[in-house]
Formats: sequence, structure tokens, C-alpha cells
Amino acid sequence: MQEIALKGFGETVKTVTFRIRRYDPEKQELPKYMEYKIPVQMGMTVLDGILYIKEHLDHSLSTRYSCRMGICGSCGMIINGKEKLACQTQILELGKDLIKVDPMGNYGIVKDLVPDLSNLFRNHEKVKPYIIREEEEPKSEYLQTPAQREEYAMFTDCILCGMCLSACPTSATDELYLGPQALAQGFRYISDNRDLGFNERLNVLDSKQGVWRCHFSGACSEVCPKGVDPALAIQLLRQVMTTNVFVKFKQKGTANAPERKSVSGVS
Amino acid sequence: MTIENKKGWISWFNPFKYGTDRWMYALHRLTGIALGLYLIAHVWETSNILNGPVTWNKIMVDLDYPFGAHYGPYILSLILLVAVYHAMNGIRLTIVENGLMLPKPYRPEFPYKAKSLRGLNNLLKIVLGIFMIVISIVGVYYIFTGAVL
Ligand code: SF4
Ligand code: FES
Repeated sequence: MQEIALKGFGETVKTVTFRIRRYDPEKQELPKYMEYKIPVQMGMTVLDGILYIKEHLDHSLSTRYSCRMGICGSCGMIINGKEKLACQTQILELGKDLIKVDPMGNYGIVKDLVPDLSNLFRNHEKVKPYIIREEEEPKSEYLQTPAQREEYAMFTDCILCGMCLSACPTSATDELYLGPQALAQGFRYISDNRDLGFNERLNVLDSKQGVWRCHFSGACSEVCPKGVDPALAIQLLRQVMTTNVFVKFKQKGTANAPERKSVSGVS
Repeated sequence: MTIENKKGWISWFNPFKYGTDRWMYALHRLTGIALGLYLIAHVWETSNILNGPVTWNKIMVDLDYPFGAHYGPYILSLILLVAVYHAMNGIRLTIVENGLMLPKPYRPEFPYKAKSLRGLNNLLKIVLGIFMIVISIVGVYYIFTGAVL
């Protein structure tokens, strides 16, 4: 069995063309496409292809990567028109002879495939992605049951790759929009029972450029490599905001707070 | 120097590869713009009643026979389709954008198909899609024959 699985491994299966958008900040030129021919072996990812170009064909090609296993979230780029992690995309699975690689959209380009993610991190910071408490120093552990953890656990999987903002049609025209990543993290922290920062985050989340700017096109959830489903977080966050108008939202864990109903979906 | 790489408004109408919801989003924008333009034209058209019955009748005939043939009913049917789509999808968006008919937070599993874009949301799309077809059939039938189905 194993011999069959390994048959052809290490041999060149076919040659594909990579068409990569190049931008050199030191030249006064607009980005342009350059083509490279690459021998593809079984198991080769798009990132391997780019590294092959860097080693053998053109050393000046720049890209971001680190883990090569879909954990660090550095290698997001637009591959054949859709945001993907280059290290998680098999060339042979794409089934195309021409692979078009663009840097992520809606960010600046630093060089070639390297996006300028400062906007993403700034937005992430704005929603205060940490647990907020009244006391400065914790006196004991803050308790949480497994069921309470399940209410936000999926949103902790975010690896900050930034592909959701690249796919988002609202981010495409509105620079100030917080973006799916930050809003999902906002929801993650206010639905954490140990956190008391709902009111502190309110003016950022409940604003024109915040949760109400989303049009639910679902593109963020479609491209997210970790299944974080930021679109779901945004809609659930809206539900919290609208209920907050009628029933003043009290966070679990506040002194004398009544046990509030789960902020998660109603379905 | 870092350069801008905004996708711009053109990407509103690039739903390819981003799934059904993105398609519906693009169509919602398109139909919204079309309805806005139609509304302006509609106000202009009906305001012509101020110019007396002769002008009014002439304009009604002109609109029924644009480009020299009886295209009026076809154009009306198209406007009806546009309006019905926008209304139905609007109902769906009102529901899901309030976090209703969406799943509770769940554990993502490979290959990470987002559940908020499927499940009950998909059911809504199908049910409202059927409504849309029924309303369109009744409406188009009425436009062409003047009779209620
Ligand atoms: S939510 Fe998903 S797509 Fe967005 S930054 Fe996090 S991991 Fe990437
Ligand atoms: S290199 Fe780390 S996610 Fe691709």
C-alpha cells in the first residue's frame, strides 16, 4: 500500500507557470506581473513553488512565511483569485497550469507579496483584545466552566493572517472599517465570562465603522483558513448590541449581575 | 515605499470564488442601484401628469413602445424581478444580521466550511427563493395578460 502512495514521489509531475505580481519599492514603477516556470513534484505547495523561484530563478522575490504548516498566518496571498495560505495550497490540487499569485488586497504592498498589515493590527488593538477586570492584580484564578469556554472558543483560533480583510468588500472601500478580524475578537472577549470590559469596548464596536458596517457577504468566513467564521461573530455581536438597547447588558461575573442568557445564537 | 492596494468598489461585483452569500450580496447591490435609478425615473414619469392629459397619454404610450416595439411589459417584468429579489434578500438579511437563524458558536472542523453561511441560512435562501419565483410568475402573468392567476 505504502509503495503505491509513494509512487512518483520526488519526481517531477508537470511544469506549471507562476504569474506573480512584483513590486519593487526602490524603483518608481507600478507593480507588474512576471512569469516563472516551475517543475512541480507531488506534495509541493504554492509556498514551495515561490521558494523554488527564490532559490533557482529570481533571488529578489520577497514573501512572508514562517511555519509552513498553516499556524503562523504569515503567508496569506491571493492565489488564482481567492485568498489562501500559500503553505496550505497544493499546486496539483489547484489543477491549473497557470497559477496567478497576487499580494493580499486592501493593504498596502511593502514589496512583491509582502502586505503592510499595520492596519489589521491597529484595528485588533482598538477592540482591546485582552481580559478587562476592575482589580489591577488578580487575587485568585478566574473560574470558567467548559461550557462557558465553548461560547467563544472558536474565535480564539484566529491566526491573524488578515485574509478576511482582504476578501471583505466593505474593507475594499472603507479604510476605517474595523474589519471581520477585529470584530470577531471583540465578540470573543465580551462573551468571555471572566471579562468585564463590555462598556469599555462599546464605543469602538457599536459605531458607524464598527459592527454596523458589515453587509454580511460572508467572504471572510469563506476564506478563513481556520474556520473562525468571523461573519457569525459579527452577526452575534449585533444581536448583543440590539438586545443591549432593550435589556441593559450586564456581564456575567459583575457584582450582583443576574445570570444573563447566553449571548450566542438563538436558533 | 509602501503603495496602496485597495480593491475598490469594483470588488463589490466580484463574487467569483467567494460563495453564495457573496453572490447574493453583489446582486443585492446591483438591484439596489437599479431600483434607485428606477425610482428617480418613476417620479419623473408620474410627475408628467402635471402637464395635462395629452402629455401624460403620450408618455404612457412612449414608455410602452420604447425603441419602436412593444417592449414595455418586458421592461416592467424585469423591474418586478429586480424588486422582488431585493425585497426577499432584504428579508433574509434582516433576519440573519440580527443573529437569528444562525448557529451557536461551534467547534470548527476541517475543511472549515463556515456554518453561518449554510444550515438555516441556506434554508432561508431556498424558502425565500421559492417565494420569489411564485411572486414573479404571478406578477409577470399579470403584466402580460392583465389577469390575476
Ligand atoms: S479571522 Fe480567519 S481569516 Fe481573519 S485573520 Fe483570523 S484566521 Fe485569518
Ligand atoms: S507559513 Fe505559516 S501559515 Fe503559511
